[in-house]
Amino acid sequence: MRSLVFCSRNIKELLRNPLSYVFCLGLPLVMLVVMTLINSSIPKPEIPSGVGIPAEASASAAAATRVFEIDMLTPAIAVFGLTFIMLFCCISVSSDRTSAFLTRLYASPMKSTEFIIGYTLPFAIVAGAQIVITYITGEIISLIVNGESFNIGYMLLSLPLFIPSVIMFIGLGVFFGTLLNDKAAPGVCSAFITAAAILGGIWMDIDAMGDGWVAVCSCLPFYHSVKYVRCALAGDFGGMVLPILICTAFALVIFVASALLFAHKAKADK
Amino acid sequence: MNKAIELKGLTKTFGSKTAVDHIDLTVNEGEIFGLLGVNGAGKTTTIRMLTGLSVPTEGEAKIMGLDLKNDIDKIKLLVNVSTQETAIAGNLTVEENLRFIAGIYGVEKKDLEARLEDIFDSLELGEVKSQRSKTLSGGWQRRLSIAMALITGPKLIFLDEPTLGLDVLARRELWRFVKKLKSKVTIVLTTHYLDEVEALCDTIAIMAKGHVLAVGNADELKKSVNKDSLEDAFVEIVGGEKK
Repeated sequence: MRSLVFCSRNIKELLRNPLSYVFCLGLPLVMLVVMTLINSSIPKPEIPSGVGIPAEASASAAAATRVFEIDMLTPAIAVFGLTFIMLFCCISVSSDRTSAFLTRLYASPMKSTEFIIGYTLPFAIVAGAQIVITYITGEIISLIVNGESFNIGYMLLSLPLFIPSVIMFIGLGVFFGTLLNDKAAPGVCSAFITAAAILGGIWMDIDAMGDGWVAVCSCLPFYHSVKYVRCALAGDFGGMVLPILICTAFALVIFVASALLFAHKAKADK
Repeated sequence: MNKAIELKGLTKTFGSKTAVDHIDLTVNEGEIFGLLGVNGAGKTTTIRMLTGLSVPTEGEAKIMGLDLKNDIDKIKLLVNVSTQETAIAGNLTVEENLRFIAGIYGVEKKDLEARLEDIFDSLELGEVKSQRSKTLSGGWQRRLSIAMALITGPKLIFLDEPTLGLDVLARRELWRFVKKLKSKVTIVLTTHYLDEVEALCDTIAIMAKGHVLAVGNADELKKSVNKDSLEDAFVEIVGGEKK
């Protein structure tokens, strides 16, 4: 019950912050539209017959623009949007700590698990709304640009599959919010968002960048979280099994670590 | 008279530093008890221990007859605190802040409505109840912070430097509210303002370097060192410690 009361307060704080609309909803949609416009303005390579272009180079050029196709871009932008959920979760936790608001609550009968639930639920709800809106916008763009719809069945299947990624990014938000003060949190999270976008292959095809780069990205969860939702929307169920398992493992480890860190820090603050 | 707080040898150390050193104190129910001392005297550390924010290193403490070590969950329901820093949810309205903290303490709906009315009336918060709390002035925010401690119906309330950073008028306003609370709840107030304890407190404990140096009402403290003003008495008592 206490966690729901805390959840209600957190969701009100989030919904009353105009910046949360700009970053959590506005920015992903703008990116979706802008990237589609950029992609449609890039001239598609016309290879004259008889010209000896190596097959590898030709495939690489095609892959470079393939990630900007709306069916590839929509799931990747939905994951990118979750990085802003992480940012706002981090700011929320760090602001509460810095402002002594948490001190008041530490003196109340609230337990650490109630704090974690209270921080997680509101951001999970907003993340869910953000993913649905991104997919609806992607569907509209697909109809306008390509004249064809996403596979609705695959699209609906994709939505619940975001749960591990949502938990992972909220966990990261709680983790950074517990470690950082409200001055440092936005800067560190911004750097993290940029790194997650690059290492997750949101704007580029990691698989076409060589084995070394793939090996580096595979060690982190972002590449897998983008890969499996792209596979899900494409109906490639075989291709999404391993990435979703890896992402789920990362999500569990990160979330449990953030909860333990929060509880430890709460005791240390005492 | 029932005892709200009984401390025996309460101690808090941080590494090699002793912030509170074997203090013995008794606070009676219904009184305003002042912990007076300069910065670093151990006032806030004492309050943090008594509100469950910090675990004592040594000693015994009873709050409303309950043992601090073993009954902390029960104690937390009977006690509330208004911290030095104003601790409010900035994007919530005044009323939402009060309902939020009441929800955390599980205040029943019918009790809540009556308490809200009482607080809006006694702390004059009714006129700003729909206002986002971050838009309030410092004095009003501090008043809300105290109201948030009162809405849970505590038997004992800790006010940690409640007038810190407020201008003279806001301080006087807050004094008036604290006096109004006296009949309803036991109050432990920390401050380093001498005029504040003299105006508000029934009993004063002077702390320095983690020790309680003297306890009594303002007249008793003045008489104990043959001084006419509390300021002179305080300097004499604390100065004695420095020697």
